[in-house]
Amino acid sequence: MQRIRKFFKNKTFVFPVILFVVVILTNFALQYTNLGPEKFEKRYMFLLDNNIRGFLPLILLAIAQAIVLINGSIDLSIGNLMGVVAAFLVTQYTVDDSIGRFLQVFAMAIGIGVMAGALNGIFVSLVRIPPFITTYATSFVFSGIAMWILPRPGGNMPEIVTTFYRKTLPLGLPMGIWIILIIMLLWLMFKNTRFGAHMYAIGGNEKAAFTSGVSVIRHRISVHMIAGAIAAFAALALVLITGSSDSRIGGTMTLDSVVAVVLGGTPMSGGIGGAVGPIFGVMTLGFIRNIVGFANVDTWVQPLVDALIILLSLASPSFIKLIAKQVRK
Amino acid sequence: MAQNLTSIDIVKHFAGVTALSNGCLTANSGEVTALMGANGSGKSTLCKIITGVVAPDEGQLLLNGNLITVSSPVEALRSGIAAVYQELSLVPSLTIAQNIWLTREPMNGIFVKYREQRKMTQELLDLFSDTVHTSFSPDTLVSELPPDEKQIVEILKAISTNPGIMILDEATSSLDSRQVDRLFKLIDEWKKQDKAIIFISHRMSEVFRIADRITVLRNGQTVGDFESKKVKEKDLINLMVEKTKNRLEQKDTIISKQFKETVLKVTNLRTQLLQGINFSVKKGELLGIAGLQGQGQSDILHSIFGSIRFSGKIELDGKDHKFKHTSQSMAKGIALVPGDRAKEGLLMRLSILENIILPSWMKYGFPLNSGKAKKDAAKTSKSLKIIMAALNMPVSSLSGGNAQKVVLGKWLQRKPRVLLLNDPTKGVDVGTKKEFYSLLKELCATGTSILFFSSDDEELVGLCDRVLVMRDGKIRKELPKSELTLTNLISASVTSNEELSRATN
Amino acid sequence: MKKSIGFQLPKLFSPPVIALVLAVLLFVVSTFFMKGGTGFVGMLKRGKTIINITAFLGLIAAGQTIVILAGGEGIDLSAGTTVTLAAIVTAVIADKSDANLPMALVAALTAGGMVGLINGIGVAILKIHPVVMTLSVSGVTMGTILAIYRGAVQGGAGPWFNNFISMPISVGGTSFGFTGAVLAWVFVSIVIWFILNKTQFGKHLFAIGVNREAAHLSGVHVTRTAILAYVLCGVFTAFGGFIVLGYIQSVYFIIGDGYLFPSIAAVVLGGTVLAGGEGSYWGSMSGALVLTVLDSILTSSQVDVSVRQIILGILLLAVISLYGRQKALRQ
Repeated sequence: MQRIRKFFKNKTFVFPVILFVVVILTNFALQYTNLGPEKFEKRYMFLLDNNIRGFLPLILLAIAQAIVLINGSIDLSIGNLMGVVAAFLVTQYTVDDSIGRFLQVFAMAIGIGVMAGALNGIFVSLVRIPPFITTYATSFVFSGIAMWILPRPGGNMPEIVTTFYRKTLPLGLPMGIWIILIIMLLWLMFKNTRFGAHMYAIGGNEKAAFTSGVSVIRHRISVHMIAGAIAAFAALALVLITGSSDSRIGGTMTLDSVVAVVLGGTPMSGGIGGAVGPIFGVMTLGFIRNIVGFANVDTWVQPLVDALIILLSLASPSFIKLIAKQVRK
Repeated sequence: MAQNLTSIDIVKHFAGVTALSNGCLTANSGEVTALMGANGSGKSTLCKIITGVVAPDEGQLLLNGNLITVSSPVEALRSGIAAVYQELSLVPSLTIAQNIWLTREPMNGIFVKYREQRKMTQELLDLFSDTVHTSFSPDTLVSELPPDEKQIVEILKAISTNPGIMILDEATSSLDSRQVDRLFKLIDEWKKQDKAIIFISHRMSEVFRIADRITVLRNGQTVGDFESKKVKEKDLINLMVEKTKNRLEQKDTIISKQFKETVLKVTNLRTQLLQGINFSVKKGELLGIAGLQGQGQSDILHSIFGSIRFSGKIELDGKDHKFKHTSQSMAKGIALVPGDRAKEGLLMRLSILENIILPSWMKYGFPLNSGKAKKDAAKTSKSLKIIMAALNMPVSSLSGGNAQKVVLGKWLQRKPRVLLLNDPTKGVDVGTKKEFYSLLKELCATGTSILFFSSDDEELVGLCDRVLVMRDGKIRKELPKSELTLTNLISASVTSNEELSRATN
Repeated sequence: MKKSIGFQLPKLFSPPVIALVLAVLLFVVSTFFMKGGTGFVGMLKRGKTIINITAFLGLIAAGQTIVILAGGEGIDLSAGTTVTLAAIVTAVIADKSDANLPMALVAALTAGGMVGLINGIGVAILKIHPVVMTLSVSGVTMGTILAIYRGAVQGGAGPWFNNFISMPISVGGTSFGFTGAVLAWVFVSIVIWFILNKTQFGKHLFAIGVNREAAHLSGVHVTRTAILAYVLCGVFTAFGGFIVLGYIQSVYFIIGDGYLFPSIAAVVLGGTVLAGGEGSYWGSMSGALVLTVLDSILTSSQVDVSVRQIILGILLLAVISLYGRQKALRQ
């Protein structure tokens, strides 16, 4: 018993994983009840595929946010950054919509993401404005740029690409699951680089890292640039769902990314966390919304139930810790 | 590779205080040189200069006969100089392995070779095997380690850079006797590897055990350099101790005052650092606490003030009190001047007036009578002779001594019955110190009881009616006025040979 | 690398004054673009209109100011939904009659206070980060509103109140051109000035904003003060919602949303430091003026919404670079 307790003591994702398991089981139980056994079997893979594809943009944003948070910073512009890239992506195919053109556009899109991230990073590290207010301000700039490129929801993506994305089930599993697995693999590799190690060091104790010789300024700018690049991928994941974009969703997705990251066990204070937590956090968030939809809850009451569950999930770890402290006294 | 380090005539001033006026030290390869001196003698400053944390004003550093300048800790490491301090430089959220090898991780292309890093860390940890608790593995988080194991990680971090010169500044203060034994065995190994080791410790017995050479500092000057075999403990203490003109003169009244009522009584006080403290303070008494920093002195003060958790009994005027919050102790007339002025004592961004009145706003009515507050603050700053531009200037604009007066002022406003002082004259200039001393004496004369921890031994001798000497979490000796001399105090602070051998058996 | 320590601005150039000067400058510049003539009378009229409109944002920025001053990365992302909540509560209880107005006010303020209390407990006791806590609470508030009113809210404020808020007040036949909203704003500014400068709570608020440990060692109840800060924030924000109802006169569910981010921008523009302990409500008032003037210029110049956002963001960055920078790492 002591050994088990010890193993779990430090893993920040314990509660989030438990929460996730509870949520996903409830989700499928309800879908099963609603659709009946036959229909469920036929459609569960389809449902899973759809669900995950829907989560993917937020998963990527949450990972970007987690990286920034671990480094001791924060990015409140990430949703709108994604919005800029998304707007760009869907407006480039008036003449040529071949795969070649798509790849060209996507490469430029990543470039945009990186530059936007660099803007954040430079203001935070060199001009030394607190990350909260920097990214708050740049979120307005990005939102404006996105709206300027794409004033009304619309745009289009080359059909070849969207079809590939929607219809392909590599090895019978949803495309989304493969992407998530690839992300986790990339994260594992990232974590094992010196850059990754230093990221945690800076977030854990900036002064100590600096005294030990870590180049904090350069590192932080790079982290924001990476977050921008990830947001570019999130934009792609987003526009491939419907083949179009809406410049207004950026803001809510930023806030969702923060909630998802915290639900996934990454603290806002920095130095701790990973990619696993945010992935679970997003899926928990998404499946909670599904559950509330399937549970035959009154449409008007759904948002409240959804919000209460989220609030309770966020409050529980702290609450448990508080009670544990009192008991120990 | 033979390494030796020499420092010649190092001079360093800090804001009106001369920390070093003649810092000379020679550390030869294959030798352990001990650096000894009382509080404030300049030992730490000299080390900080050698390791690049502080820049010297004058003087030279020679490495193997070549002149070097060390302008940052990273540069010191490059020159092969590594140091282990009492203040920790570890990232708590990272593991032992990650901390030790930060920026020097073993790489395979762009990937960190974690397995190898773990192996190398384990080899280092094995050096201290059987002296630690079981949680000591490469993947343990530093935040989970007790102070002694954190200290060991710091030592391992330093040695992992394979330095030519190794500085251990009070590195044994958190270690138990087994760990100290092991460390000394390692030092013997390092000597065979031709490393030069500088060893600073207040524990005389350890110094005589391990040092080949002893250098003594006093008031910023090197006053002695001996082979350890050729010198006796008594002589060293005398060398560390001589008085100077600037400090407080020995009090002429050797008659002990008579104190009647007991105001404060502490029984079996325990915290993480304290192992059971018992003492009492009488009305109008100036009770001093001596001993090196980190021995738990601030815990005593904070427990009485109600700002930390403790177990034990604290009685005020005979009644048992367990203060849960500072406002409660304040209401009973207790005041605390904390040890870290910038972090604990003052609200740096606020004005002088705001700082002085902060604990007392409840006395100014509703709505707050700002005019009266201004008058009272002005009165207090005048009586303390605070040198400032105006009451509404931020307190960060004041010099150390004046800032400390503000901290004192905010408590004196309240006319406390018990005044707790945590090293109040640290970083304060001589002139202000004298003003403090007369102030404290005045307070005692009017019935305030003072509990006063200081890292300046001479100060304690000159001021106090009685001094408790602390070491390693307990009160080791009580010096009444008749026995209160500097020599006695320093002897009591320094572990005697008999006591240590008793502990290791 | 240049030294990036914020330079000490002399008192005359303190952020609230800078913001005010900026607002006035923008206003003057705008007269050359706006219709209505450049005559003094025209400018005065337009100026008063601007102030009348600013009152609402100004009121809502009050609570935000308090919470940010408290430090600990304090912020209230539930301000928008609290405004909506207060407006709805008022509308329902007043039920289009002026007689119930006092009761409606009390109810609205209580609702706001409760939201604030929940925020305060989450932040100060459960130690949940303010961004996360207030964000979640805003979701719960919105959900509660939807669950109870299901999309349609009947009711509204009474005719006298609507008139008082939206139209310039006239006393004995003469009117100064300012609406009741401005009067309410002035009233609130006096109350806030009083709280921040003339109460023990105000002193403690600044203390915990600057240094919680030192405040604790000076006898301040840090947790209690923080919770009270959030409660007051909720109350003042709710008051803002109460007043807003008189302006919009009928309720819809996204009333408050448009005020949330501008309220934060106003506080920051006014020189209140996001880390806490430094700042004033005057600053937020000036900040609100800047934002309103800027908005009116951009709206009437028919600049696209997108460009407006960009300009707002750049302005924020520029102003913050001026007075919000942190100390460099190497000292």
